[in-house]
Amino acid sequence: MLGFFRDGFFKDFTVLMLVTVIIGAIFSSGVAWAVDSYFGDTIDGMIGEYGEFDIILHIREEAREAAERELKRIAAEQYPGAKVDQTITIAGQANFFFGFPEEFRTREVMESLPAIFNGIPGINGYTVIIEPSILIRGVHSSVRTELTERIEAITGVRFAFKDGVNMLVVLEDMQYSRDVTEQVNQILDEYQILELRFPIGFEVDTQLTGEEVIDIIENEFGPKLLKNVTSLEHGDDLDAFLTALVEMRNFLLSYASKVRIQADPNIHLIVGERLVVQGLSDAKIVVGEESAQDHLVIEVLAVEGQNAEGIIIEGSIAAAQDTIKQDIYRLRSDGLITERVGSVELENERYKLEYTINESLKLLHELDELAHEAHLAVDNAEAILDVFQEALIQLDLLQIQMRKLNEGITQGNAQSVGEQLIISLLLNGLFKNLAAANEEQTETPIETLENLDIEAMRSSLVNIADQIANVQEIDVQAIIYQIEHLRDSLPQMEDEDIGKSIRLINTYLAGQVIPGERVQILVEGEPLDEKVMEPIIREGLDNPYVNTYSVSAGMVNPDARSEILRLLQEIRATIAGIMAVIFTIGILILDHATIFSTLKWVLGNRRKIFTWIFGAIVGSVILTLVYILSGAEIPYVSIPVVIILGLMIGFIVVVMAEKFSPVDRNEIMAGQALGLSNVQIMREIVIPASRPGLMNLLNRWKQQF
Amino acid sequence: MLEIKNLSKSYGKLKAVDGVDMKISRGETVVIMGPSGCGKSTTIRCINRLTEPDTGEIIVEGKNILELSDKELLKFRRKVGYVFQHFNLIARLSVLDNVMFHLVLAGLDRQEATARAQLALAKVGLANEWNKRPGNLSGGQQQRVGIARALVGNPELMLWDEPTASLDPILVREVLDVMEELVQTTKTTMVIVTHEVSFASKVADRILLMDKGKIVEAGTPAEVFGNPQSEIGIKYQRLIAS
Repeated sequence: MLGFFRDGFFKDFTVLMLVTVIIGAIFSSGVAWAVDSYFGDTIDGMIGEYGEFDIILHIREEAREAAERELKRIAAEQYPGAKVDQTITIAGQANFFFGFPEEFRTREVMESLPAIFNGIPGINGYTVIIEPSILIRGVHSSVRTELTERIEAITGVRFAFKDGVNMLVVLEDMQYSRDVTEQVNQILDEYQILELRFPIGFEVDTQLTGEEVIDIIENEFGPKLLKNVTSLEHGDDLDAFLTALVEMRNFLLSYASKVRIQADPNIHLIVGERLVVQGLSDAKIVVGEESAQDHLVIEVLAVEGQNAEGIIIEGSIAAAQDTIKQDIYRLRSDGLITERVGSVELENERYKLEYTINESLKLLHELDELAHEAHLAVDNAEAILDVFQEALIQLDLLQIQMRKLNEGITQGNAQSVGEQLIISLLLNGLFKNLAAANEEQTETPIETLENLDIEAMRSSLVNIADQIANVQEIDVQAIIYQIEHLRDSLPQMEDEDIGKSIRLINTYLAGQVIPGERVQILVEGEPLDEKVMEPIIREGLDNPYVNTYSVSAGMVNPDARSEILRLLQEIRATIAGIMAVIFTIGILILDHATIFSTLKWVLGNRRKIFTWIFGAIVGSVILTLVYILSGAEIPYVSIPVVIILGLMIGFIVVVMAEKFSPVDRNEIMAGQALGLSNVQIMREIVIPASRPGLMNLLNRWKQQF
Repeated sequence: MLEIKNLSKSYGKLKAVDGVDMKISRGETVVIMGPSGCGKSTTIRCINRLTEPDTGEIIVEGKNILELSDKELLKFRRKVGYVFQHFNLIARLSVLDNVMFHLVLAGLDRQEATARAQLALAKVGLANEWNKRPGNLSGGQQQRVGIARALVGNPELMLWDEPTASLDPILVREVLDVMEELVQTTKTTMVIVTHEVSFASKVADRILLMDKGKIVEAGTPAEVFGNPQSEIGIKYQRLIAS
């Protein structure tokens, strides 16, 4: 067989093969590209050029112009180089594309999108279309941070960021999509959320139950990386809201009237059951009859032995100021009073609070007045002290004069005995009166007066005046205003309203937080089989009704555009592959079959196996090279399969070569008889007589006749 | 000039040629006759190796043709004129090109090749048909083109493989006339395979009768047809007599 090629046809054949492969690759990839381009252009027209925009902003139609102005301002001032473009308006909603410049396509910017676009007039929301990217839906908050770090370490990942409950993984290039997706899936497989669901109305303490479940798993399967992530499932905002609800419930409980129940011996109260009390109603409780409308209906909140606490869910004791002590009865759901269960004490805390606040306000008002009056009293006291001090001085002078007068009388220069007597009586009376308050003292009245510490008294008065001044400096009016405001702000709720509110909050909290009906355990590493786990957990928790489910920590879901583009790429690659096969079959039938026919005849039947092998190899080489060079990729068809397919196509074409492209054996024989070489026979006889094609075209350059 | 020794050729189980020996002198005209399928065409094709024999020797001018290299074989073939039963003309080429193209491909100047081709065509009476396509010629004319093509290279040996077998009886004559003339006017060694008994009687120096792949009788036309020794010879004698 080699002899057939040896004399020069080998070169012709080599050139033919090369040109065949090149044209085949161009043809296959060209057709595929045309299809890809057509669909790609259609998509681009709808959602912009690939990678051009990062976000679609949804704006109410009436605010379109204002939104456009604001978007352009943001683009110009905050993100120079950013692109803004308006796209289709659907159902009263205008849509704008926004594309960040390359330097701003970062995790920080993407996670700040709500803040960046919050002020856009008429904004209804936005959709992130950053490309190329992979979308991970429903990423559990407990693994988000760790996932982000691990995913960003994957080759081809530019960064990852949180978008609501989803995570978007931005790629460096679309070509990484498949590899990154596989690796992200592998990472996600390492995390498992084991979810325990309790029957409706069956509330558990999620924290305690979670820890209990972790112990059960570890006892059964050994130490594992387990974490109770129940409270993390809703995210920070909802957690804060739920915390606020719990606080609100606690406030309402303290604000509600206190209901303390003392159950009779042999009576067992149950949390949640309803009891009835006469309250302030005129209608007495009668066992066996229905309760009256103004009876108080109480729901048991907590039970401890024979003591229980409850809330009023129907009726009110708003008018009651003192503690009410009454009998309490069991109330059936149909309103029938069944039996006495004990006694109850009802206290209206709400009324007491209001009363106390009002009294405080009165005190504050009085305090203000008192300070004013005290200030005036001190001033008066100081004036009296001044007068008293002056009087003492005068008294001293009078005493001196009296002594001189007395000496004068003794010495005979007194004016009369009668005057002396009068003066003496007056002085004695005066001193007696002055010293009346200090009769026990041994001092004389004059001495007593003289010994009074006027300065100390004045100092005390000054201190009192200072303290009164301090009191007056307190902004009592502001305190009064705020306390009044506080009083006015207190919920104007009846016991019934409070009770119903508490019950509603409890109902909501029951499904969301502690206590709840669902416990989530994060399992890292080897996943647990929920079917194996369920009986173990049921036994461990002693609860045959708990169901166990395995939930993914996140689900990879390429974003719509990436998915479309990936599909288009697959379609393009598949079309290229199909085109490569069609081209190979076509070129083998149209061109190469002539060579095969000639070769078969030249070599004869005894050596036809060489022709088969040759044809199969030619088919395989053409198909494989065209397939690879055109970027073809048919799903489930690997390169070895392509090689085998090429071998089969080549073999079939060789076997049927004479039917596809018969050669005139007489002409070939004539050439041989005339001493023509094989290459001359091919160039001058066989190929010119064959179908117009690539081989025929290439032969024209060397053909002499 | 040509010696064939113990030539054999089988197609599967069928032994087409079975130990043929012959010796042909330069300028001799040898006619091989025999019933269809007796191996005469296979024998003549083996001489220029259009069919590769299984065994034997074919010695031309002292060289065993079966041992020639590819190049030597091509060179040898150019010295051998071959006329086919079915003319084997190249349908796409003109009459002139059919006659000259192998000369050009062998390296001869195109003008000289053209001149020689025109001369050869003149010899076979087709000088005016040079630019026609073979398909536009009659069977006899086509065969004459085939003869011109064989002659144009001035061959030392001409092999004729039943040149009239596919012609209408009316056209056979014009071909035989050309052949007779060529035999008489050239000194080329000729090996002719034919069923034309009268033609063979007239032109053959020697006649070889073949049957079942073997030469069963050889001799001058007078010997073979006058006093046949073989069964085939006797049949031919009866044919002539009838």
